Amino acid sequence: MAETKEEPRIGVFICHCGTNIAGSISIEEVKKYAETLDGVVVADEYQYMCSTPGQSMIIDAIKEHNLNGIVVAACSPRLHEPTFRTATQEGGLNMFRFEMANIRDQNSWVHMHDWEGATEKAKDQVLIAVAKARMLEDLQPKSVPVEHSALVLGGGVGGMQAALDLASAGIKTYLIEKAPTVGGRMSQLDKTFPTLDCSQCILTPKMVDVGRHPNIELRTYTEVEKVEGYIGNFTITLRKKARGVLDPTEALERGIVGGGCNGCGDCAEVCPVIKPNPFEMGMAPRKAIYIYHPQVMPLLYTIDFDSCVKCGLCVDICGPEKRAIDLDMVDTFEEIKVGTCILAIGYDYIPIEQKKEWGYKRFDNVITGLEFERLICASGPTGGHLIRPSDGQTPMKVGFVLCAGSRDNTGGVNKPYCSRFCCMYSLKHAHQIMEKIPGAVPYLFYMDIRSFGKMYEEFYYRIQNEGAKFIRGRVANILEDPITKNLIVNTEDTLLGRPVSMEMDMVVLAAAVQPTPESEKIRQMFGVSKSQDGWLLEAHPKLNPCGTTTAGIYLAGVCQGPKDIPDTVAQAEGAASAASIPIHTGEVQLEPYFAQCMDDICAGCGLCLQQCPYGALDLIEKNGRTVMEVTEAKCKGCGTCGGFCPGGAIKMQHFTSPQICAQIDAFLLKGGE
Amino acid sequence: MARVKEYGNAELEEKLRDTSYYANDSNPQFLEDVKKLSRTAANMCYQCGTCTGSCPSAPRSSYRIRLFMRKGVLGLEQEALNDPDLWLCTTCYSCTDRCPRDLAPTDVIMAMRNLAFKIDIVPRNFLKTVQLIYNTGHGVPNNDVNRAARVKLGLPADPPTTHSYPEFIPGIQKIMDFYKMKENADRILAEESK
Repeated sequence: MAETKEEPRIGVFICHCGTNIAGSISIEEVKKYAETLDGVVVADEYQYMCSTPGQSMIIDAIKEHNLNGIVVAACSPRLHEPTFRTATQEGGLNMFRFEMANIRDQNSWVHMHDWEGATEKAKDQVLIAVAKARMLEDLQPKSVPVEHSALVLGGGVGGMQAALDLASAGIKTYLIEKAPTVGGRMSQLDKTFPTLDCSQCILTPKMVDVGRHPNIELRTYTEVEKVEGYIGNFTITLRKKARGVLDPTEALERGIVGGGCNGCGDCAEVCPVIKPNPFEMGMAPRKAIYIYHPQVMPLLYTIDFDSCVKCGLCVDICGPEKRAIDLDMVDTFEEIKVGTCILAIGYDYIPIEQKKEWGYKRFDNVITGLEFERLICASGPTGGHLIRPSDGQTPMKVGFVLCAGSRDNTGGVNKPYCSRFCCMYSLKHAHQIMEKIPGAVPYLFYMDIRSFGKMYEEFYYRIQNEGAKFIRGRVANILEDPITKNLIVNTEDTLLGRPVSMEMDMVVLAAAVQPTPESEKIRQMFGVSKSQDGWLLEAHPKLNPCGTTTAGIYLAGVCQGPKDIPDTVAQAEGAASAASIPIHTGEVQLEPYFAQCMDDICAGCGLCLQQCPYGALDLIEKNGRTVMEVTEAKCKGCGTCGGFCPGGAIKMQHFTSPQICAQIDAFLLKGGE
Repeated sequence: MARVKEYGNAELEEKLRDTSYYANDSNPQFLEDVKKLSRTAANMCYQCGTCTGSCPSAPRSSYRIRLFMRKGVLGLEQEALNDPDLWLCTTCYSCTDRCPRDLAPTDVIMAMRNLAFKIDIVPRNFLKTVQLIYNTGHGVPNNDVNRAARVKLGLPADPPTTHSYPEFIPGIQKIMDFYKMKENADRILAEESK
């Protein structure tokens, strides 16, 4: 408000940041320059402004010089704006009476070898910051209540762990999974390294738990359709895909007492349509009405309406009592309200057939690591007997191609990053071959064996001791003997310095991983950034690995970057802990950067309403006039409306037009008029 | 850097030769020259062996392109340029097609050959080839056996190249003269036969 215009009394504090700033900029010169600026009462400098003595300087100066504006020229506001705001507040000022000039990241680090230039630029930065500080106003942060519930997207091991943690902490948790069952990639694995636990055996207890935890609302075969709101108050629209089958609760809702699917499987027996089962990587059949495997959670059949011929045989066999099948079911929508969200949307494999030199999908006996998992798994399509797809024979010499598409800077499908778990699962595969097929020899073609986890290097030792052969060379190409269907693997043994040409019965490609196809859409809905390799971007790689730059959205598992199971579970627990904090606090503080309508100037034209990407603006009647009103909690302060308003009636708090104009003027006129 | 032991016995000297490489064996400028001439980030090789595994020359010779990449990275100029294997690359570009770091090892070899030629290290057959191209426009000129085979196949005895259009030979010579190729080839061969 236009209160009495108080005389600006500004304190400028310049940080050395050790030699980070002081090594490239003359602190003394900048300080002397700051003292000459209009409104500056005191200018000072210190080794580390963020340290306790540094902050005390600000607090003491406010009291001593009766300051009403603070400028700190130091690092990025992303790092220390909260620190200095607190100091400003402790000095007795409103915390928004603070402005930061980033003379480190945007100056000394970029102009490291240009002392004069960097010093001049730092002066300009201080000049601009002081120009804004002269016009700062008191603002009050807004606090909003937080919904006592959370959403976890993705029902793999990461999503399940996060949901279980949240639910056990007393938070109602919606666990959303796009597939008909929870379990994710881990349920496709046979054993896990380095302990050789049966993957399903350690996973199914968690699957059962998420199914019956009183605080978990499990939604399988469901996708997120729309995300609205902000931290504490997300409204999420779910699309429950038509599954064609009713669970007992849904049956009861339709008045069918004691009905609904009980998982008996009679329907699948009579179904005439046969399709490949994606859970078995297409190596086993399923019907048009199906479950992935016997341990699915929930145990509920699903109709694949893309292949169902609607013959009705399943409806007949299901019978008049259960009446679980509805061939005319359509997608339904559900709106839920949650306080925070965790994305645990997992990963996919690259289309490794596009690396033509390795012959996947051209040569029968070249398979991927995940196909190997199903072939070696006792509940897999072959009952755990590893066989060559070409002739059903047991392979005695199996080659493993590591870094198949990982650590590869060429264009197309290839990935520059390390996929992080292929070394270890290939070692495990080698062990499984030697265990199950006496006399079989695994050959691992590798560049580096990255066995970095707890007990991982020991596992490498064990596998080598068991007789696996390691050849240090990335595979150049694979050829197929057209008669025997054996494979000739060509590479160089770089340790001997000799070319290698080895005939193998089977080759397993440890294909690189990449974000799922849905990742891009989901990321945009939730407003999460991605890193250059496509994985979802954490708020800080070291200090905030579970959070994102959007408040209230957290990440768990491989969707943030390749991870093995222990790391995924650890991050899931971290994300659950982070996501529970705002919920248990009960309220969050929003920065008061929202738009404000100046009623006496607003013409009520309403054009701004269509501009707002967040639906935060409305037209209301006030004192007999139509004016715009901002729902402050929805406003993200983007400034679109403020820049658009033809009458200049919208004020962006903390970024007002007079403040920004003063900054531009200061820079261009250098204090002149 | 006591690298000469002076056993006074040539055989023993060779057998017990110090094969370590030392920091001052490395010429960092060599890597920079190779990068500039080859226009590939030769410093980024991570020695996976895909190049040698793809190389049609490797199984039949002692040529290991990966080792030349290594010597480039380390700046082992003398070792790389004096190695006769440098001239065994057929420039088929299989290694370049498959290199996971998206480098062009073939072009690195070509760069090293250029650097070698600058200090007169080049095999005789390459110099003879230079002379042949200068004189006939062909590295491998037509010969009677070939002519007979062509006629048998119903083709003209000479292909539609400088063999049929010798008026273009001076143009080729002009280009080669610009780079002093013939001059250098003649000179090196003459010095060698002295």
